[in-house]
Formats: sequence, C-alpha cells, structure tokens
Amino acid sequence: MNMVDISIEEKKKKTRGITVLSILSILIIITFIISINTGYIRLSPIDVIRVLFGGGTDKEKLILFDFRLPRIVISIMIGAGLSLSGCIMQGVSRNALADPGILGINSGAGLMVVLFVSFFSTNSITSIFFLPFLALIGAGLTATLIYVLAYKKHEGISPTRLLLTGIAVQSAISAAMIVLTIRLNPEKFKFVSVWLAGSIWEANWKFVLALLPWLVILIPFVFYKAKVLNVMNMGDQIATGFGVEVEKERRVLLASAVALAGSCVAVSGGISFVGLIAPHLARRLVGPKHEFLLPASALTGSLLVVVADTLGRWIVQPSEIPTGIVVAIVGAPYFLYLLAKTKE
Amino acid sequence: MSERLNTKNLDIGYNENLIVKELNLEIPIGKITALVGANGSGKSTILKTMARIMSPKEGTVLLDGKSIHAQSTKEVAKQLAILPQNPTAPDGLTVYELVNYGRFPHQQGFGALSTEDKRIINWALEMTGMNKFYNRPVDQLSGGQRQRAWIAMALAQQTDILFLDEPTTFLDMAHQLEVLKLLEKLNREEKRTIIMVVHDLNHASRYAQHMVAIRSGTVVSEGAPEKVMTQKVLREVFGIEADIILDPRIGVPLCIPYELASINEKEKHKYKALKTG
Repeated sequence: MNMVDISIEEKKKKTRGITVLSILSILIIITFIISINTGYIRLSPIDVIRVLFGGGTDKEKLILFDFRLPRIVISIMIGAGLSLSGCIMQGVSRNALADPGILGINSGAGLMVVLFVSFFSTNSITSIFFLPFLALIGAGLTATLIYVLAYKKHEGISPTRLLLTGIAVQSAISAAMIVLTIRLNPEKFKFVSVWLAGSIWEANWKFVLALLPWLVILIPFVFYKAKVLNVMNMGDQIATGFGVEVEKERRVLLASAVALAGSCVAVSGGISFVGLIAPHLARRLVGPKHEFLLPASALTGSLLVVVADTLGRWIVQPSEIPTGIVVAIVGAPYFLYLLAKTKE
Repeated sequence: MSERLNTKNLDIGYNENLIVKELNLEIPIGKITALVGANGSGKSTILKTMARIMSPKEGTVLLDGKSIHAQSTKEVAKQLAILPQNPTAPDGLTVYELVNYGRFPHQQGFGALSTEDKRIINWALEMTGMNKFYNRPVDQLSGGQRQRAWIAMALAQQTDILFLDEPTTFLDMAHQLEVLKLLEKLNREEKRTIIMVVHDLNHASRYAQHMVAIRSGTVVSEGAPEKVMTQKVLREVFGIEADIILDPRIGVPLCIPYELASINEKEKHKYKALKTG
C-alpha cells in the first residue's frame, strides 16, 4: 500500500461529499420551484419567471414577492439553522438523540414569545425585530440553566445528565406556558397556538432580514469549527489529548447552537425534529466527518422544511397544516425508529 | 538529559478525598514504563494527570522543566500523546480518517492535509500494520486491529512521549501480544518513550524496562522489573503470595500467584490453633 492509493481514496470521499451536497442543492431548487407554484392561486414556472423579471399583474407580484418567496426563503434559512444546531449538539454531547427541541431550547424561546404576547400587541412593527431577540434570550437562558444544572465539578458535562436535565427543564417550561396561554384572549391565543405548532407565520422580508445576520455570522463560524467537532466527537479525553480546551470549546459550540436554534425558532415557532432528523440523514449520506456533515446537515434541513412547508400548503387546500406538524408527522416515527435501533 | 518528564509533589483527588499524595515520579526517557497496581490504586489517575487529561490539586507535572498544565494545551499535544481506556470512534469512521485526526494538533481551522501530513499518516499506518485496513470502518475491526488503529492515530500526532491507559484490557491473548509487540517495536525502532498502565504483571515485566508499583496513590517500588517483581512488593501492592521464576527465554522475572496474602495469615493462625489445641 502506498501514498497514491490513500490519496485516491481521499479524493473519492471528497467527490462523494461534493456530489451529495450538489444533489441536495438541486433538490432544494426543484422544491423551491414547486413550492412557488403551490398554493391557493397557482403560478406556473413561466408566470414566476415573468413576474421575477418585472412582468405580471399586481396580484401576481403580491403573491410572489410578499407571500411565497419570503416564506420559502425563511423555510430554507430555518431548516439550515435548526439542523446545524442539532448537528452541533449531537457532536458535542456525543448523543445521537440530542437536538435543540429535546434540550428545551425551543420551549425556552417559546416561553419568552408567550410572555411577550401576553403583555404586548402582536401587530406592532417593533415586535418583528424584538420577537426573535426575545426568543433568543429565552433560548439562551434555558440553555444556561440546563448547562449549570447538568454541570458537575471535576467531571464537567456528561451527555446523559445534559439530556435528562433538558427534559426536566422543558417539562417545567411547558407547564408554565400552559398557565400563561390559558389567560390569553382568543386572538392572542390563536397567535400563540399557531406559533407553537410551528407555522412559518406571517413570513415576510422583515423576518428574513432579522434572521439573516445570525446565520451569516454563525454558519461560517460553525464550519470553521468542523475539525474541533470531529475531535470532540471522540470524547473528552481524546479531545484533551489532542490539545482541545474541551470545556471552553463546548461552551462556545453550545452557545452557537443555542443562538442558531433560538433565532430560527423565534421566526418559525416550534418546529421540532428538524434538528434531530436532518443531521442523522446527513450522516448517512456523507459520514461522520464534520467538514461534510455540517454543510450536508444544513442542506438536508433546508430541504426538509421547504418540503414540509409545501406539503402543508398543498394537502388540505385551501387551508394549511403548520409546517411543524408536517415535520412531526415524519419525525416522530423516525425518532422512535432511532430509539429502537440504539437499544441494540 | 533523561529528566524530561517528572512530577513534583503531585496531589490528585476529587473534592476532599486525595487519591494521590505528594507524588514525585520520574519517567525515564526512551524506555517503556509500566504503571502497575491493584484496582483503585490510582495508577490510571496518575497517568491521566501526567498527560494533562486531569488537573492536579497541588504540585506540577514537568515536561522539560515546564508545567504541562500551565502551557498551551495544543503545544503539549505536539510533545505527548495519550490513548485513553476504551476509546470509541463515531460510527462509520474509517481507519484512515481516524489516523488523519491524529494530525489535529498540527493543523489550523480550515487547513487541508499537507504532503507532510499524508506522509506521516502513511508511516503510522505502515508502522502499525494497519495499511491493509485503511479503508475499513473502525467499528468493524477485531479488538487487536482496533487497538492498533488507535495507536496509529496517537502515532500520527508525532510525539516523543506516548501514554496508554490499559491498552491490552478486554483483548484476548493473541491480541494482547499483538499490541505489546507493536509498542516494543515503537520503543526500539522509533525511540518512543512509552508510559502505560497494565494489569498483567508478566506483560509489564517482559515488555517494560521500568516498572512503577503503586498502592493507594503512593509509589511502593520503582525500577527495573528485577527490582520491582519481588514477593515482598507483590504482597504489599496486590496482597498476594507469589512465586517468582525467571522467564526461560529472556530471563526476566515472572510471577505465579498462589494465595491471597491476608487469607494466608488467617489460615496460619487456624493451623496454629489446631496444632496447639
């Protein structure tokens, strides 16, 4: 065996990785086109191109630019964000069942949103920028709480403790949310329940703008940490032996995961399972190395949410099923399948 | 020259309980050192602290006169490597990728593998005889192969000093020899300093040139196997009575335990009582 063979093998893996990423991107584009065309009022691809290049009626423009496009763009963004968040959590905690939802970050963000809605109007313009920020604080506080509760002196963080603490905190938050939502007036109650079900509610360009900075900063940062994630995935002792400051890196990576999930959840509401399933599917496609796993997770997540959102709009026309529910219908059985598999 | 790695008044412990107290240990460079002791004697804790996986409560571990816990951990990783007990690789990771990870301390953020990295990975695979299996997932290897793959990973780190925590535990006899022979080869041909925790005293005696016998966190005896493998040390450290014989091939001491030291005392009293009574 010589060096040439290994280089070829490495190239093969690279080619495979790039192929998978390209196919996922193409699938997203195809779904994008189908999604634009899906809804109560149909727009054929030719109509879409016509409208994009300045043609079309005002009605068509309104549907495309103000309703469908921002919604699809947001689906792509939150799919990528939630999935990356889950991918980081699974890598850092070495637990295949970790995701932002299960670790209580979704509900932390949710609680803040419910609190905000209880006391302020849902229609004001400032709330659009304020809400993601609040949800982020909620996610951050919950994550910090879970981290502190799961932290043990001299031992650091054990994945099992982290997971169990997350579940306990999440239950407490859910209880608090129920208490709060009961007190709401019907209009606000509807807003909250739609939000919690994970509808990409009132998607518009302002949400895209509010979410964009987070993703633009965090996604490259997380990709930069791919090698650290690879090594941390082998356990604390090996990572330390390789010269990684484990506790510090874990904190930084968990904080990035929380910021990603928190900002996405603020816009999308409670879309669970994306952060769990998408990284898993990606791992099957490209293997455990984060150089490919992270981008593949992001793209798989985007695809999943865009498909779910499109299905949600198409199945019960002219009504809609919230995206979160569509994802859950697919996600719950897959989650159970994972549980059954890890028992072996 | 030979005092590259030593510990100075090392106290190690969790909370209030000290597992190791005032440890002053010197590791001979260019040799294989075996840390031996009963379960819970603190030998693994000492190994982990010397490789800065654990932090001491007091005292320092000195590498070339500088505390390893005070240095940049990435710099230390270029000088010493550690293979922990029972490492597990993520599902589907191939041997080549695993060994590739060993280059981590020498790489930067987005950096790709250099020709030098590739040369070292190839060398590590060849050295451990894992080049035939380079494309296999680690989780599909036999116990001995897997341990060799992990050692290849540690070798790719290109350090003079290599720590191993129980590298032969959970392996059958053939696989144990496979691993020990590899370590011997690394020490002889590559002049690596190896420090390992081993359970099998005869393995320690045969493959290590330096032994450290530990009981309750303190060194009971250290030196060449001839000095450490004595009936007295075995009684003190392991609580066993053993015959010491010389290996018929290479003349190192081997032990054959035949009795638990404490029970032996009781039995003696019983016999005495029977005789006099």
